[in-house]
Amino acid sequence: MSAPSCNPCDLDKLLDDRINDGVFRVHPESFTDPAVFDLEISRVFETTWLFLGLESEVANPHDYVTRKIGRRSVILMRDGDGILRCFFNSCRHRGTMLCPLQGGNKKLHVCRYHGWSYDSQGRNVGVTYQEHPQYPADFATEDRSLREIAQLESYRGFIFACLSHNAPSLTEHLGDAKLMLDLVADQAPDGLEYVPGAATYTFDANWKMQFENGLDAYHFPTTHAAFVNIVKSRAPLPIPDHLSDITSCPDSIAAGTINFPRGHSMSWSIGAPGQGAENRPLTRDKTLFEKVRNRVGKERLNWMLRQRNLTIFPNLQVIDIQSMQLRTWEPLSVNKTRMTSHCLAPIGEDPRAREFRIRQYEEFFNAGGLATADDNVMYEFGQAGFASSTTAPSHPYARGMAGPASTSQPFAALGLTNSTCTYSQAGLTFGDETGIHGGYREWHRLLMSR
Amino acid sequence: MPYINPASTANDVLLREANHLDDRAWEQWLALYTDDAIYWVPAWRDEDNETADPRSEISQIYHTSGRELAERIERVKSNKSVTTMPLPRTTHFVTNITTDLIDDARIDVRANWMVQVYQPRTTKQYVNFGHYEFQLSNVNSKWLISSKKIHLKNDLVPALIDFYTL
Repeated sequence: MSAPSCNPCDLDKLLDDRINDGVFRVHPESFTDPAVFDLEISRVFETTWLFLGLESEVANPHDYVTRKIGRRSVILMRDGDGILRCFFNSCRHRGTMLCPLQGGNKKLHVCRYHGWSYDSQGRNVGVTYQEHPQYPADFATEDRSLREIAQLESYRGFIFACLSHNAPSLTEHLGDAKLMLDLVADQAPDGLEYVPGAATYTFDANWKMQFENGLDAYHFPTTHAAFVNIVKSRAPLPIPDHLSDITSCPDSIAAGTINFPRGHSMSWSIGAPGQGAENRPLTRDKTLFEKVRNRVGKERLNWMLRQRNLTIFPNLQVIDIQSMQLRTWEPLSVNKTRMTSHCLAPIGEDPRAREFRIRQYEEFFNAGGLATADDNVMYEFGQAGFASSTTAPSHPYARGMAGPASTSQPFAALGLTNSTCTYSQAGLTFGDETGIHGGYREWHRLLMSR
Repeated sequence: MPYINPASTANDVLLREANHLDDRAWEQWLALYTDDAIYWVPAWRDEDNETADPRSEISQIYHTSGRELAERIERVKSNKSVTTMPLPRTTHFVTNITTDLIDDARIDVRANWMVQVYQPRTTKQYVNFGHYEFQLSNVNSKWLISSKKIHLKNDLVPALIDFYTL
């Protein structure tokens, strides 16, 4: 993708990464300068791997959905042979948007302007009145197929796309973060799906506020104090017998982060109020739960039932707490972001467990939920604060920095090979902020690379 | 069967509800609801279809008791949620009211609604709009809301929706 030709600002100053001196700061202009935003779109969102959708969204031949990659609208579709393909949503005749809808099932996509048509492999199979064209001679030989994006791959049902041929493979990009996606995918022996009904919302703040917040355990008791009080006022759910050996039940308390190369990170905790195994939809479908337990073993099951906020840089967060949310974002401008949120669920889940999952999800997440609405407004407070500040804040991402990196228990069961972990028995009051560092390092690396 | 004028009954309940919300008279607002009231804001499945089954599909908000609505009021009153710092000012408009008298204890109502929302913090304003479906029930000679379904047409929500902006 073409990038702006000049450096609008001193990119080097945006990140002050002197971790050995106890300093890690992001310059406020990173959140407020439209020139930085333009570079983020071209050098981050249109250069690295982005999460695009679930395979179950396009399960059948000729299913398609439309999505955004940076500024580009794309069509993700499954062709007649079951192969996933992704094209720019633009007719090869005049460049008109080909698919105006969110999705559907079509063997043939017809541009509504002049009627050029394309099959689900993207081939131009029809040109209106082709028999009377007086086209120049090269028309017959020129490739008029929809333009396919550079790279498309999926991992365990999560589809990722990349507009650059220079990015490494998805496997290399994800690294050990794949193991965290496994903790999600392994809850669904028959695959994952979105519960029907998406929630979309905007906040008037920079997208990185959302990136940070998903890895920020420190904000929870303050930002969500009203929600925490509501939860405390309710009678706790009883712990059923079949969960008696689950050590993520609130008899132990711990928290930390696991940091992966290329900006991915996972914040986790055990023992926060209202977040025990009995609050997890997975444990409500006993048949499914036992199947999962037998497949993954005790230690990995414990990890599944810990609260895990996973960020796959730069646009995916899977929040597995009292329900399971998949959220992704589209940066609209330096101070406006559009969010799309889905409730993630195992295909074929027991209807009562599904209903519990849905209620748990709605209560917490989205613009109508009791917690996410707080976050959205807090991002706007943040944006207003950045605009008032010309210097970096004092210790924005410092909590946890002085602690020793841990690679021992309880991480052994995860099979990590190239990751750093933090661990504290302080639980949520640990409020580790070091999980945010990796994403900013990757962001800065991409911004600085031409 | 006693004489019931469904149109004037519905008009009275719906407009009072709107005024209580705009006046931030939360307790009086809640008193218009039965204890087991359903309060439902469906989500959209695609461009044309809302979700229809709250047990198997996502809603923006779905409550099945006055207690859950009371929790939302407590959250607003607690001054611990930044969504109320400051609380947006609202004006509700309720119109196109049609009624069906089902029996002497139930009136079904459909109405169009629009809420103008002004956020003093940012001086930004926006509008939420759609239509309502109500079920009014006669409880001890008083007409109460036993069900309110809020169809939100513009569902790309700016930061938050809550009972006072719908």
